[in-house]
Amino acid sequence: MSRNIVEIGGRSISLSNQEKALYPSPGFTKAQVLEYYGRIAAFILPHLEDRALTLKRYPNGVDKPFFYEKRCPTHHPAWVQTAEVVGDNSRPITACLVNTLEALLWVANLASLELHVPLARAGSPKTPDAMVFDLDPGEPATILECARVALILRELLSRLGLAGYPKTSGQKGLHVFVPLNRQDATFDDTKQFSKAVAVIMQKNYPDLVIARMAKELRTGKVFINWSQNDASKTMICVYSLRAREMPFVSCPLEWGELEHLSKLGDPDKFQVIHAEAIRRAEAMGDLFREVLVKEQRLPHI
Amino acid sequence: MAVQGIWSGTISFSLVAIPVQVVKAVSPGRISFRTLHNKDWSPLARRMFCPKQEQIVLPGEIIRGYEIAPDKYLPITDEELESVSPERSRTIEIVEFIDMDEVDPIYFDHPYYLVPAKGGEKAYRLLAEVMARTNRAGLARFVLAEREYLVAVKSTEGALTLFTLHYSEEVLPADGMAPKAGRIDAKGQGRMAKSIGKMMADFDPGKYADKRREKVTELLKRKMKEQAPVEAPTMEEKESEGPPDLVAALEEVMRDMKRSR
Repeated sequence: MSRNIVEIGGRSISLSNQEKALYPSPGFTKAQVLEYYGRIAAFILPHLEDRALTLKRYPNGVDKPFFYEKRCPTHHPAWVQTAEVVGDNSRPITACLVNTLEALLWVANLASLELHVPLARAGSPKTPDAMVFDLDPGEPATILECARVALILRELLSRLGLAGYPKTSGQKGLHVFVPLNRQDATFDDTKQFSKAVAVIMQKNYPDLVIARMAKELRTGKVFINWSQNDASKTMICVYSLRAREMPFVSCPLEWGELEHLSKLGDPDKFQVIHAEAIRRAEAMGDLFREVLVKEQRLPHI
Repeated sequence: MAVQGIWSGTISFSLVAIPVQVVKAVSPGRISFRTLHNKDWSPLARRMFCPKQEQIVLPGEIIRGYEIAPDKYLPITDEELESVSPERSRTIEIVEFIDMDEVDPIYFDHPYYLVPAKGGEKAYRLLAEVMARTNRAGLARFVLAEREYLVAVKSTEGALTLFTLHYSEEVLPADGMAPKAGRIDAKGQGRMAKSIGKMMADFDPGKYADKRREKVTELLKRKMKEQAPVEAPTMEEKESEGPPDLVAALEEVMRDMKRSR
């Protein structure tokens, strides 16, 4: 195994297998994955900060087996911060916090292409700082139908005095984040609220929306997965790569762009590849910054 | 080898005591299926049903009764049953040794392995080897999960195996199963012996596989590729639509939205 030691922020990280194509089809190597995360760091780090990371590792590339890792690998360097969080069997586990560039690159070097984080920070695991609508299309529906649902959702939320922010999932769907950033927010509330919204959407757009989990009901519809609003669930972090054939990114979009893309009618045009994600972030700034700071209160609950 | 025993204690006779664990020797090869509701794929649960009152009976309302005659029962409590259960025991006491050839397989019920615990390895090996050489088995009484079993401890390829045996009253008599005795001529006997002799082989169970299991496995693999699995709804979805205030507000907003379109 080839290794090179790099110095970042006064820490030395040993990077391995740089030349390995983790995305074999475009020949996108581990060095390029690290370069992507290095360049997007300023934008992604605030969204990862103090959140218990779930690693999704693809040691042999995106077309080979992967594994989830909620525990911070025991061999982690001392400078990777960790937090005690509740694991799957309600037992405490030690999770990685990606609070620095070094930690981000160390995690990327573990071939954790995808970075999944909870909606709450490790210090306040029961306080979601956003509510999420995870829009998941059931074939033959595509991201186009998701965009239609997202645009209806946007109007519904705005009439309730709430702002939402969309991003691509980097796979087939869209995520709409509703920032809360309030200490009195609870997962009970976000779950009830998002579920009630999903149910009313299904009622009014029965051919487009489904609020229930059952897969066979999803055919041709968009499943609004409200159940992601849970302390035990994680979402793909904004700006994270996805392990698909191409290195697509879960990338924030402007509502206007979503409207435009929706009119264009080509599902492929929604996908944002790594280089485009960097170019956009550098030109437009972090379209998701409001998610971190905007304070909103859920009404009627 | 780290094994999960279902019982641990000692196996003993005269002055010998060997600490052992009892572990399963076979795992059922059957592929099992869950029963699902074909409407929403919910896995189904079994409930006790009272046909008279046409309602589900809760666990606290269920008791046992011994049927004396049709519709006549003798109720019996768990405590009463427990009072006649054998005492738990940490020993498998071998009471006699027998010749394995004398045990008809009809008596064999369920096989287990005995695994030596720390300190018991040497005596274990010795017992296994001597029993193998002499084709002997130890008969013992063994209490497992509130039942007392008659068991045979024998040697199988260097390991001690334990078979629970059927009690003799459980084995149904073979009377009347075989045809009445009659004359068999020597020529017929010879022919039969010859045909059997031609087909003799060493016992090699590895040659045979559970064909149905293989086919079911193949079928499952194929289906896994062809279709996405169905998913049961989560329990939470059975609840109401949400807080009434919120639902009312959402409905109003939705109406306005549709009107302004």
